[in-house]
Amino acid sequence: MNALLRSRGARDALVALVVVFGVGSIAMLLAHVSPLVGFGALFDGALGTPEEVAETLVQAANVLFPALGIAVAFRAGLFNIGAEGQLILGGFAAGWIGAQLPLPAFAAVPLLLVAGALAGGAWGAIPGFLRARFGANEVIATLMLNVIAILLTTYLVNGPLQQGGAGASETAALPRSAYLPDPIALVGDPHLTLAYLGTPIVVGIVLALVLRWALLRTVFGYELRAAGDAPEAAKRAGIDLGRTALVAMALSGAIAGLGGATIVAGSLHRFNTGLSPGYGFIAIAVALVGNLDPLWIVVAAIAFGMLQSGGIAMQAEAGVPREVVSLVTGLVIIALAGRRVVARRRTT
Amino acid sequence: MNATLAAILAVLGLTLVKATPLIYAALGGVLSERAGVVNIALEAVMIAGAFTAVAVSGATGSPLLGALAGILAGALVASVLAFAATRLGVDQIVAGTGLNIATLAAAAYGLVLIYHQPGASREVPAFGRPGETVLIVLAFVAALTLQFVLTRTPWGLRVRACGEDPGAAEAAGIDALRTRFGAVVIGGAIAALGGVYLSLAELDLYSNGMTAGRGFIALAAVIFGRWTPLGATGAALFFGFFAALQYTLQRAGVPTELMQALPYLAALVALAGFAGRVRAPAADGVPYVRE
Repeated sequence: MNALLRSRGARDALVALVVVFGVGSIAMLLAHVSPLVGFGALFDGALGTPEEVAETLVQAANVLFPALGIAVAFRAGLFNIGAEGQLILGGFAAGWIGAQLPLPAFAAVPLLLVAGALAGGAWGAIPGFLRARFGANEVIATLMLNVIAILLTTYLVNGPLQQGGAGASETAALPRSAYLPDPIALVGDPHLTLAYLGTPIVVGIVLALVLRWALLRTVFGYELRAAGDAPEAAKRAGIDLGRTALVAMALSGAIAGLGGATIVAGSLHRFNTGLSPGYGFIAIAVALVGNLDPLWIVVAAIAFGMLQSGGIAMQAEAGVPREVVSLVTGLVIIALAGRRVVARRRTT
Repeated sequence: MNATLAAILAVLGLTLVKATPLIYAALGGVLSERAGVVNIALEAVMIAGAFTAVAVSGATGSPLLGALAGILAGALVASVLAFAATRLGVDQIVAGTGLNIATLAAAAYGLVLIYHQPGASREVPAFGRPGETVLIVLAFVAALTLQFVLTRTPWGLRVRACGEDPGAAEAAGIDALRTRFGAVVIGGAIAALGGVYLSLAELDLYSNGMTAGRGFIALAAVIFGRWTPLGATGAALFFGFFAALQYTLQRAGVPTELMQALPYLAALVALAGFAGRVRAPAADGVPYVRE
């Protein structure tokens, strides 16, 4: 127990819990709701029925992918604040291509996911390239690219690529063959207990395992972490910092873009401009609470998935405005901004 | 001829209206970054200013008190960032991102608590036309003053020293942490005026999302203006001009979204160095920890 408390990961998780329950309680009291009632409604809404558990896992997957992407970039010492834009562009590519091509399921689903990853990866590669080639600050670049991604996709679905009928900011609906197995629709089916967990979260967990292995056990992962932890030493050891920045940002964006594609193929079944209520920003909190370790990020994503899915029930049942979830999420980010890994910032 | 002239004047007038909140926010950003703290939370500061100004003006009936409260609220949000960045040595980017999320949510929560309705407040006593004009003029006065302070006063020199090399500044007897703290908080007070302008001068209420990313456009203006108050003001006017032109061009068939993307694209181009050499303060965004 003592050893556990001494580890930084456990301390970070503890800080996050104190912020969530402490600030959450104060906010609920201000709204004249007992925290017991408020949090009760939240957890009941997140876990009360099989359908709600499935929704929680969907929400968990929605923040898991961008959080894994963010972790890759942060481990390389790069501040990818652009997961939101990368996720949106990945979702757009998946939605648009998916609606164009009538393909059988075994081809359609992988194609969608690859399209999402490629689009997100390309969007992530832009700040990576600007950083490697011109020494441009990736924080500002990714912030700007977030807004550009939102404006660009809004323009495309309202203008040249509009397919959802007049006035609808969306692409055409995907054909059924391009759907990921829907966890909520399968709840009643006793033969599909695995699918019941939700395909996106399963894909996300597999990805987390692969990433953990790649970060800790491969030359690529070693170089990436070296560039983040000790850029000067890494440079002297012959690691090409520019190339590492480009590859890390592209990979980071690809993972976030894959997340956008799983939202489109898994639950939304088309792209629309309301695809993300800020998953790319919530994911920063998830990545930090998860200590930038893919396995702990899975745990953190499930916790934040509960907050997201339970927030709606909390508002409906207990009368606590849903914004309290965003409030505690933001404060968790501030509370955990002091991580040493993150603080060691490279300057150009 | 007279119609053309009137149209031109209308666009120029609208340019000032659209540029003013950007100027305030960009000036706050310049001061903060010249001291070495990247203020990603300009958006949060504007939200705090806009919301608090409306809440206090509604409660007291005095827009002036509301504006003062808004400035204080912006300074308070900035001081959270300043405290985290100077005393805790935490990452400014991550803390600023958290502040943006938390402040937006807090204002939305506050709307429900105070006005018992989501989305927007009711209308409150505001400045109206004369007050708006005063705030527009004040923005330019603030720009000139900050330019003078940064380049011609001892405090300005200290601020710039902390942004370039806090270690050397401390060796010369400057308290780098205190100077950075002060610059970020004063920068927050200035940027908050941008929020106050939006809620009490351009409008007379607060609505969720009313800052609409202006804090980020202001960051772009800081870069495009090469980290100087006058440069940032010029960039804000440039972005404001395109925002004003938007209404005209929309009628001509140019898509709104592409026009809105312009400031962000301009900042990317400036960052990449295509618009001439751009150099941030050397220690911008680097936490300073005493040995």
